[in-house]
Amino acid sequence: MRRVGSFAAVLACAAASTASAQEMLNMPAATLPSPGVLIPRGQARAYRFEDSQWLLEQAVRLEYGIARDLSIAADLPLHQGFFDAPRPSDGDFGLGDLDLSLELRILREDLNAIDTVRASIFAGAELPTGTGGFGGGSVDPFAGAVVTAIIGRHGFDASARYTFVTGGGHDHPIFASDTADDFVNLDLGYAYRLYPAEFGEEREGAWYATLELNSTFTTGGEHAVLLSPGLLLEAPSYAVELGLQVPVTQDLVHAPELRIGFVLGLRLIF
Amino acid sequence: MPASLTATLRAVCILTAVTLLPACAANPARVGASNEPALAAIGDGTLAPGRHDLVVRGMSCPKCISNVDLQLKRIDGVVDPQVDMKNGRVVITVREGASPSRAAIARAIEDAGFTLAEIRSDAAAGGGR
Repeated sequence: MRRVGSFAAVLACAAASTASAQEMLNMPAATLPSPGVLIPRGQARAYRFEDSQWLLEQAVRLEYGIARDLSIAADLPLHQGFFDAPRPSDGDFGLGDLDLSLELRILREDLNAIDTVRASIFAGAELPTGTGGFGGGSVDPFAGAVVTAIIGRHGFDASARYTFVTGGGHDHPIFASDTADDFVNLDLGYAYRLYPAEFGEEREGAWYATLELNSTFTTGGEHAVLLSPGLLLEAPSYAVELGLQVPVTQDLVHAPELRIGFVLGLRLIF
Repeated sequence: MPASLTATLRAVCILTAVTLLPACAANPARVGASNEPALAAIGDGTLAPGRHDLVVRGMSCPKCISNVDLQLKRIDGVVDPQVDMKNGRVVITVREGASPSRAAIARAIEDAGFTLAEIRSDAAAGGGR
């Protein structure tokens, strides 16, 4: 009962959060807020690991447009763990590490009314704000790049991020990225606009089916590759996203193997 | 992961950070992918009261409507932007007594994240100046 109640609270937090628009569920996009615009975004996630261990996560992202092609972002997750000891158990709550980053758009080619190709580079650091066994305890710089292309009903994203782990990693890693080794995130995403086939002159929402390949490779040889199907409803003023994450291949020594992940997000766009 | 790949990725990341951070610190308004040539092509002058058609490229999702709305409504005198995503058009109305500049319109579209290709003014309504 406690698990159900806690999870409901996490989902309620997600519903109260707000965010931006057409982006994949689990990877960056080369989309930036306009200058002077603050965009909050929230997602609730539930991960089931081996031996019926669970992690619930409420992630909040704040993104602010500094200039036309430059934004700053902060990502802070709140975790609740239902692991076997010594990892957080019995619904223990804890903050995760705060990600602070700058993103610079380096390419914007608007080809016609709809089609566009955009690219950004980003750099930042994970700060040791984690509590309750959910933090890495060190300042870990990262940098990367992302490309987004939208051609008619098709959207494509590709991103790469390298993180330098300067400390000893998490005491008891939950994901591959929690170990003491540097790691790379490589992500590919595809979105297909299910409806409408063509945008009309009216303000209407759009339904997208998304499929992502999200991967983490550590310099220590561990890796996890996840296939992530999703559904996105985007309207001018809000968006709802729903998705799964299913492991394709995992080679983990320090972290438990993931069985499945669930993602629910609600974005209100002002 | 092979050591050579790790070294390459480290180098790319360091290069990215070294390029990004000083550029942003120096003058954030001047960095990035803004389409200054397109801005210049829109020309000088102001828009007269009445309806004007903006030909806009790159509005690829419903959120674009909100972005364009937000930026255009920040311009004094511009009311009721109507976005037609299918045709890449935004119809704006300039109220009586106002005369927003063409450059301000172009910068608003750029700030929204899109490219303004052309402003078509309604000659019967007074058009552009």
